[in-house]
Amino acid sequence: MRNDCSELGRIGSPGILRGLICPWLCLMGAMLAPLLATAKERPLEGLEEQAIKEAVALAEASLVRIETVGGLEQASQILFGTGPTSGVVVGADGYIISSSFNFASKPASILVTLADERRFPARQIAHDKQRMLTLLKIDVDGLTPAVPTPREAVQVGAWAIALGRTYDLATPNVSVGIVSALNRVWGKAIQTDAKLSPVNYGGPLVDIEGRVMGINVPLSPQAAGETAGVEWYDGGIGFAIPLADVYGVLDRLKEGKDLLPGLMGVTFQQGPMGRRDELLLDRVRVNSPAEKAGLKAGDQIVEADGAPVSRMSQLRHVLGRKYAGESLRLAVQRAGDRLTMDLVLADELTPYESAFLGILPQREGADPKESGIPVRYVFPDSPAGKAGVQAGDRILKLNDATLENAKQLSDLVGRLKPGDLAALTWKHEAETASAEVKLSAIPNDVPSQFPAPVLRSPEAAVTAKTGRFTEMLAAHDREFWMYVPEKYNPAIPQGLVVWIHPEGDTMEAAVYQAWKSLCDRRGLILLGPKAEKVSGWTPLEAEYVKDCVAWARENYNVAADRIAVHSYSSGGPFGWHLAFKHREIFRGVAMASHPLMGFVPENDPEFRQQFYLAAGEDDPLFPAVKLSVEMLRKAKFPVAFTPLEKLGHKYPEEKTLDEIARWFDLLDRI
Amino acid sequence: MSGTGHPDRFSRALKSVVLLLLWGMGCGGILPVQAQSSYEAVETVSPRVVKIFGAGGLKQLYSYSTGFLVSAEGHIATVWSHVLDGDTVSVVLSDGRRYEGKVLGAEPQLDLAVLKIEAEGLPHFDLSDASGAGPGTRVLAFSNMFKVALGDEQVSVLHGVIAAKTTLSARRGAFEAPYHGPVYIVDAITNNPGSGGGVLTTWDGRLIGMIGKELRNAQTNTWVNYVIPIQELRGAIDEIVSGKLTPGRKTNDEAGTSDEPPERYRTLDFGLVMMPDVVARTPAFINRVVPHSAAAEAGLLPNDLVLFVGDELVQSVRGCREEFGRLESGGNLRLVVRRGDRLITVELPVPHKDDEP
Repeated sequence: MRNDCSELGRIGSPGILRGLICPWLCLMGAMLAPLLATAKERPLEGLEEQAIKEAVALAEASLVRIETVGGLEQASQILFGTGPTSGVVVGADGYIISSSFNFASKPASILVTLADERRFPARQIAHDKQRMLTLLKIDVDGLTPAVPTPREAVQVGAWAIALGRTYDLATPNVSVGIVSALNRVWGKAIQTDAKLSPVNYGGPLVDIEGRVMGINVPLSPQAAGETAGVEWYDGGIGFAIPLADVYGVLDRLKEGKDLLPGLMGVTFQQGPMGRRDELLLDRVRVNSPAEKAGLKAGDQIVEADGAPVSRMSQLRHVLGRKYAGESLRLAVQRAGDRLTMDLVLADELTPYESAFLGILPQREGADPKESGIPVRYVFPDSPAGKAGVQAGDRILKLNDATLENAKQLSDLVGRLKPGDLAALTWKHEAETASAEVKLSAIPNDVPSQFPAPVLRSPEAAVTAKTGRFTEMLAAHDREFWMYVPEKYNPAIPQGLVVWIHPEGDTMEAAVYQAWKSLCDRRGLILLGPKAEKVSGWTPLEAEYVKDCVAWARENYNVAADRIAVHSYSSGGPFGWHLAFKHREIFRGVAMASHPLMGFVPENDPEFRQQFYLAAGEDDPLFPAVKLSVEMLRKAKFPVAFTPLEKLGHKYPEEKTLDEIARWFDLLDRI
Repeated sequence: MSGTGHPDRFSRALKSVVLLLLWGMGCGGILPVQAQSSYEAVETVSPRVVKIFGAGGLKQLYSYSTGFLVSAEGHIATVWSHVLDGDTVSVVLSDGRRYEGKVLGAEPQLDLAVLKIEAEGLPHFDLSDASGAGPGTRVLAFSNMFKVALGDEQVSVLHGVIAAKTTLSARRGAFEAPYHGPVYIVDAITNNPGSGGGVLTTWDGRLIGMIGKELRNAQTNTWVNYVIPIQELRGAIDEIVSGKLTPGRKTNDEAGTSDEPPERYRTLDFGLVMMPDVVARTPAFINRVVPHSAAAEAGLLPNDLVLFVGDELVQSVRGCREEFGRLESGGNLRLVVRRGDRLITVELPVPHKDDEP
């Protein structure tokens, strides 16, 4: 007997097989003498087949059929079948784990049938949204829980047998392959070439000893969701979540809490060609686990949970196995020092929201010998207004910090949250006053009226060009047009309206007509770049517009905190793109008759942006614009929104443009 | 390594050995083994499989398929398809010999046709020696898929295992196959253009069945690789070869595969008013139970969810209506409903219909 077995091992069967067959053959030798002769003569292929069938017989005790009733026909382009699917028993008292794919249709009722034809209604207890598994419970006792293969015993090249209980209740359906790879899809899954499809999703991937290596699921490294990866069915690429991992989180699932992927709240700097050879932090989100742990932009992550990491994929492998609420130990390099930090991963990143004091600083003309920041306007009902601050006062201190300029105050307030308390000290005429103020959120609405800035005439002759004119950038060989108020005073910083025209029409004359007096009154310069082909903008032209803005800033006194994009209709996609690509330049977007395109950006304390949207109520795009407003507000951006009565898809009229000009004038509110 | 040390593992092992014994007696140990390896099996089987070329493709339809020799005198079994629509087809043996093949007879309900070529002393399968198989059985599939083999080239061989034994059913259009009956499902992609009429054997070369056409499973929305067991075909092949079946007979199976489900009964016949069928898969909730009706007598209540009508799972109000439509007069109807977290089984007498003969 023993000799036979070692020979089997030598001619190339996996070691596992030898380990299995020896005890089996010994048993058979003891009990089934008549069959022994046959077994001894059988060639390797026959023995392998026999071992596969034995493994199936062992594992099928834990395999159940799942049927669903009701639910959707289709979700995200995948047509759901209505056939039965499979699940694996993980608790004798009726706990069953299955692939979330099987419930993606959101069924009204779920039924579990055991091999002995007993049938039970099942409840969904919890979902593991990291590994796309669902835990079910039926009211029964005495089930046979699956025996997991230990993690270290799963080897590439070993037999892998995928089972389902879909075609026939009494006999499982079988597909045989090998383990193709381990730790796939960011460390989460075993890969196999056994044919995985809806007929065995939720069923077990069994090893040659009849233990369960994993639960068959559709997965994709590129996408997430219940149906990601299902297009690869029967394609020789299948995935299974290690059962050992499932048992590791079973108690948490039993509590009925969904397990969610763990988030850190950082972004990484991009190397040349989009590569990320070093894990250098680009940004650390405010209030994120990373910020709470003390990570800073510029830190280089070198180790995660004890494993050295130098590439994004390595870090994702570590994170792929982590859930929200679990901790992660990182080692980072910062200025030559090695620091160790512990993060508690979050299920959701709370968006940053700036606090608001309620003043507009005066931009010039105050006595430079006096200390503090002169106040041009106080928003009624704002924290500053309630405290009694008045126009003409000077803000001296916020929370013990002595204030030198408006930018410093703006940054301090931007670091605080709405609802935070702050100690404010200001000077009213000759008196110094102080109060504790409760900061609020930046209001969405534009005040219906507030005083225009005081614009003194220049004291000396101005050499820079004023009025409407056309310029050409040497580097781009392309014209743009500008309007600079006739009374432009280089001593007073101006706002910059960057007009992005719609497709097919620069609207130069109309925009000039509509904006001339607004610019004169509010101290704004109008800049009109032109698309290379007037028929439309391409994303690459963002560099050209950026250079136009740089030219304007070189030649005029432009306030860095009051540069924003204004666009209309089909200029929208490029307008949004421009503002989000160059957040370091543009402080906002005033968009007429076009919704937000693409994803909603994250509100960033380093580059705070504000938005103004207007659309005619009769505009077919009105609902989409309204939805954009909701999405941006949800991301905690200040968003003014003006629905225009009885207007279709048209450039707004004078009253609305006046409001947009006011919005430009309050971009530097604090 | 040995599992015998663990009592629980030992008892499972025992169970497994008993299963193994049953399986061994069922198919493995008793039938004579033909080949000692899959290499030998390929050598034995390949000369018995032929390539079939039809008169020329019509509108994107391929004009080639596969067949297998069932007699020394040139009888060839193959799948009944449009490839045979011409009067004659071209049959190419594995050694490159080309013959004109005539359709001797067909049994469309089995998706089967038998061809005859004028030759003698050919290697062939002995249909009486065909084998059965169960899930997990290692198999080889031989066919001229995608017309890869030409002239004296042998057909392509795929390997896999039997995934399942099941029945292709005409009901509910789950499988839109012309053949309805028991099949093997294979876990390899065996059913490709031109594969129909090829053979499935065990790894040691025993004939299991004939590869069917390409087929999509409407229940799981996946392609189905099915093989018709030789046991299902043997009788018809023998009849055609012996001349008892009319050549080229087309059966009147169109009547049998009508898409319209019958409407013999409605739920109201039992006193059940179902939830209105508003969305695609409205679950089959009971809206109202008519007082003193059979349903009321059986204790059914509003808001019970009907899950099974007889043995059939119903996934929607529409499915429920169709199952009631199929009920036969007389006897008892068993319903399984879900009430809260419990499953409740009730039996209702099926009333006689006046228009029944």
